[in-house]
Amino acid sequence: MSGHAHAQGDGPEVYFQYEDIDQQQESYVVGMWAFLMTEVMFFGALFLIYTLYRWKFHDTFFLAHEQLNWKMGGLNTAVLLFSSVMVAFAVHFAQKGKKTAQLICLGMTLMCAFGFLVIKSFEYGAKGDHKLYPNYTFEYGAHDKDHKVESWWDDNLPAFMHIEKKEQHGDPKNAKLFYSIYFTMTGLHGLHVVIGIIAITSLMVLIIIKSPLITDYVPTELVGLYWHFVDLVWIFLYPLFYLIPR
Amino acid sequence: MAGHDHSELTKGGAHPHHVLPQGMIFLIAGGLFAGMAATIGAAFMIPEPLHSNTFFMQSLALAIAIFKACLVVYFYMGVKFGTRLVKIFAYGGFIWFFTLFIMMADYTSRPMEPVPGWETVPSSALPRNTVEDPE
Repeated sequence: MSGHAHAQGDGPEVYFQYEDIDQQQESYVVGMWAFLMTEVMFFGALFLIYTLYRWKFHDTFFLAHEQLNWKMGGLNTAVLLFSSVMVAFAVHFAQKGKKTAQLICLGMTLMCAFGFLVIKSFEYGAKGDHKLYPNYTFEYGAHDKDHKVESWWDDNLPAFMHIEKKEQHGDPKNAKLFYSIYFTMTGLHGLHVVIGIIAITSLMVLIIIKSPLITDYVPTELVGLYWHFVDLVWIFLYPLFYLIPR
Repeated sequence: MAGHDHSELTKGGAHPHHVLPQGMIFLIAGGLFAGMAATIGAAFMIPEPLHSNTFFMQSLALAIAIFKACLVVYFYMGVKFGTRLVKIFAYGGFIWFFTLFIMMADYTSRPMEPVPGWETVPSSALPRNTVEDPE
């Protein structure tokens, strides 16, 4: 590679535009934060939309949210928090130069990410069977609580994850709005989880093949920053969608 | 780095960067899971009449969420130990986020809709039905 001012022993090289390795590494982290700021703006607009409609149609939003399974949402919260802890350990071990421990932590994070998506697919699947997708199939208020809706996703849930079935009350138009926002925000969050899976998998492969791209802990820290942000979004999504007060 | 009791150097030692100690990672994890338990507990176990107070319950849930978010941003994302430039970018994003909600002032203070016939127009603007239809 051209343009390297000097190398830092067995550490990363310092490129010509930087004064030293500290400045170079700071620029990587600042770049990642600049990207995360755009993510804050992206999700910020969605949170504003949620706030606005929740304020306008609070009663129906409360009634519609009772169809969501707060236990599954809670389990997903626990899974994501645990994955964040694992990423923090991965960065810790990367800084200490302990590659095996780092890879184990990243692998655990990856498993949590897949676990999150599996739980989410059970939620989404059941919502589809209950005709709560906000499209032409949407039917709200058609079933009372004794009406059994056949759903493979519900039937295959562990017993402790079942919640008491509630009747569907409230204005169907506003309930559809609630589910539109719910699927948009949790869907986009799920997309970020998928991107996180790709990033973590790529990082692990690069570490395993001893790629020259990975010369220090900074790539792990950058992937970690992204994953913590994914966790951060869910920290707010969970109480706002699954635990709406009356 | 100077000023941090738990400072350690990254491997090689030539360029010191803060390493979050394992004990601190466990401590923050405890705080996060306690926050999660508090969120669920508050939603179901707060007695009346507080439980019926929407503003109180929502404020409490958001306060716990903000506490958890601060733990993640401050410690796990390393803002506490970051340089000033990193802090400017990190705080800037979240300050912008809260500034965005100033927009709510518009919705609370200007009852512009519904205009007559808004509900019959497909893909209309927001149904801000806060004022009586003049007809």
